Amino acid sequence: MAFDAEREITSLWRAFHGTQDDGRRFFYLWRQTALQLLGDKADPMEVALKAWENIGIDTAKSYFPRTNLSKPNWLQAIASNFVATWMMRGAKIRMEKGANDNEILLIWDRCPFPTTAKQYGASMEEDVQGCDKGLQTTVEQLALFTNKKLKIETLKAIPRGEGACVRRLWVEE
Amino acid sequence: MKSKYFDEWRAKYETMPGAKKYPHVFSPITIGKLEIPNRVKYAATEDNLNTHDGFITKEDIAYMAARAKGVAGGICTMQGVTTDETRKGQGYLGQACAADRKFLPGLTEMANAIKGEKAVSNYQLMHCGRVGGHWAGVAEGPSAIPQRLRLFEPVEEMSHARVIQCIDEHAFAAEIGVEAGFEIMEISGIVGYLLSNFLNTYTNRRTDEFGGDLEARFKFVGDIIRKVKSVIPDDMPLIIRLCAWEQLDDVDGNTMEESLQTYLMAAEAGVDSISITVGWQESTVPVISRDVDKGSWLWVPKKAKEFGLKVPVSMAYRLFEAEMADKAIADGVIDYWENCRPQIADPHMPLKFLEGREEDIRWCVACNVCLARLFRDAPMTCYINPTCAHESQPDWYPENVHTDDPKDVWVVGAGVSGLEAAWTAAERGHNVTVFDKNAEPGGTLLDARQAPYNDYELYEVTTNFGMAQCQKRDVEFKFNTEVTADMIADELPDAVVIATGADYVKPEGWEGDNIISLHEAINDLKPMGDNVVIWGNKKPAIGCALALAKKGKKVTIVGEERSAGKDINPSFRWRYNIFLAQNGVKAYNDATIKEIGDGQVIVRYYDGVKFPVKADTIVYAERESNNALREACQENGIEFRLIGDAAIPRGVSGAVHDGYKTGLRI
Repeated sequence: MAFDAEREITSLWRAFHGTQDDGRRFFYLWRQTALQLLGDKADPMEVALKAWENIGIDTAKSYFPRTNLSKPNWLQAIASNFVATWMMRGAKIRMEKGANDNEILLIWDRCPFPTTAKQYGASMEEDVQGCDKGLQTTVEQLALFTNKKLKIETLKAIPRGEGACVRRLWVEE
Repeated sequence: MKSKYFDEWRAKYETMPGAKKYPHVFSPITIGKLEIPNRVKYAATEDNLNTHDGFITKEDIAYMAARAKGVAGGICTMQGVTTDETRKGQGYLGQACAADRKFLPGLTEMANAIKGEKAVSNYQLMHCGRVGGHWAGVAEGPSAIPQRLRLFEPVEEMSHARVIQCIDEHAFAAEIGVEAGFEIMEISGIVGYLLSNFLNTYTNRRTDEFGGDLEARFKFVGDIIRKVKSVIPDDMPLIIRLCAWEQLDDVDGNTMEESLQTYLMAAEAGVDSISITVGWQESTVPVISRDVDKGSWLWVPKKAKEFGLKVPVSMAYRLFEAEMADKAIADGVIDYWENCRPQIADPHMPLKFLEGREEDIRWCVACNVCLARLFRDAPMTCYINPTCAHESQPDWYPENVHTDDPKDVWVVGAGVSGLEAAWTAAERGHNVTVFDKNAEPGGTLLDARQAPYNDYELYEVTTNFGMAQCQKRDVEFKFNTEVTADMIADELPDAVVIATGADYVKPEGWEGDNIISLHEAINDLKPMGDNVVIWGNKKPAIGCALALAKKGKKVTIVGEERSAGKDINPSFRWRYNIFLAQNGVKAYNDATIKEIGDGQVIVRYYDGVKFPVKADTIVYAERESNNALREACQENGIEFRLIGDAAIPRGVSGAVHDGYKTGLRI
């Protein structure tokens, strides 16, 4: 029976990474298209924030069916959702316990978005604020859905030259 | 006060076997000030049969009249009417409306149709809240809480003034119902509709007088009860449907104690009876599907009574059988029997109990295809009842289309479709003989009934019903008889119904003792190893996978459909996906078995990705139609019909509907 596991997995992995790159290019090409159509009155930051807001809302929708507050580790489950989402988007991301049980740190050791942003002429600040907007919106929607004071804040950002993106996800008492 | 036909029905019951067999179901009950001759209630359900702007149609009236006849003097509830002109409360495309006097003529006709069948007419107010806005594109609720299910519209928070207006709209719609001539008023506050949204901690985050603690959250419901009560006649009973257990613990919904407290508050506010329900549409726990055992929710009304509820209570929810309902009434668990899905499947179900014709009941199989249709803007239909939503068409019933040209009809196959075709053709006056190569009826379902999660109900319901109907119409049966082309050529029947089902087909090139059919696997006819791979990802394969997993096998299903169970209706498919996961069954969809080796198979996805899966035994569960007799009929110039799986392998519903329609047309 001819089956080469290594070959199958590596070809699948290559295809997966290709899909991730393609997805990011798609995003920035849509951004460029919106700016071209808007012409001189275009504000790239405004366009980016709106796009990330919509992405944030839709991301939250995909989390709702998996949100179960009756489980003690529900905050961790939400953090895991973020980790999974960003892994799929091509980032190297992990989570760490925060200062207390109500807090989790999300750490992006590597993220391909700034590189692609540069390729397509988007500023680094737009990249930081756009990403923040997406995460903030998702968390706001989750807070509304769960009736919990769920918050997220950015402590470090790769596009600002800080080596990693670090975000604190917590429930305000 | 006695309901209009009370004495007439009570006298009639004296002569009916069902009244003796189920003395509690067919005993009188007083709700508010109204005395009703029995304890049967058809619960409201939408049917999408009305116009999209809320006017009642003749189809809906005929649908309801059939159910009204079925309650045999009991309560028959029309579908809930939406109460607001903006239609934000409209949850279903064909939902009736009572927001304006222009709807009065249709509603009057509806009340008259129900009363025309000597039933007690019940009118329901139903603003669908966060599951509404179907037409408006936006729903409204106490707070703008995002939807868990993408199916539903975004929710807009109601202003304080809008809440007050909404209470008045309920009163206005109630007045319309009174004027239309209904005898009972009902308010719906279940499954995520507006009243339940106000009661719930998760959907009501208001900070005004309508939000906060339970008392404040109940204010909207209490105000509606009082306002409606003020506009209906003093002797008109008022019923409310409220949820006893929302099953929303995962989003911090109300506790059961809080919900039961709302029952006491509703009674205190003036309702005369409460219909007890369980679960919301966005709950993740099944409530009324077939995998939920019959009668398994009876502990809920029991608990409500123990909590101190004094007004009469009713409950539906998998309470299908009169025997079960009779006992529950006798035990004081419920006061009257409510049913909905069972009377979609058989509009006359309670009447048949009363007449002692239980073998004539088409039992609901709790598949929820009715709901699946409604959620997808399609008119009501029933998996098991081909006449559902065709009540306005007399020629849809075999007794109305007798043949002038009786034929000798051979039905080949005593499965679901064959039995349906046989009895309907016989009812029309044809001479029908049914052949089957097996010793007993059931066809494909003889295998399918082995699957867990109450799938045996599918077999019992269809086969027992079909056999009873055939026997009543003198259909001749020839079991252990395989019809051949020669037999057809020799005996030349006038018409042949080919209901020979489908065969499990072993793919070409598959050889080995460890390759067996679904029939052999599910009936334990061949030895199997621990690791089983099933080829096919439709319902038969899933049923077999679950049956084998229950026996401790490690099962993997591989199939070409893009998702497992594409042939199961969407309102039930999600349950099967959960069953597969719960039983450790892996499903590789959009895939084929590329190669079979020693102890494993190579699975290949549609995009070329390959991987090995352990396989001691391989079960083939893909089916192909068995229509071998077609040629014989064609060659001999005999009228023939190809039905059920013999036409295209499908689910039970296709077989029932095919068979029934074929019997009507021969």
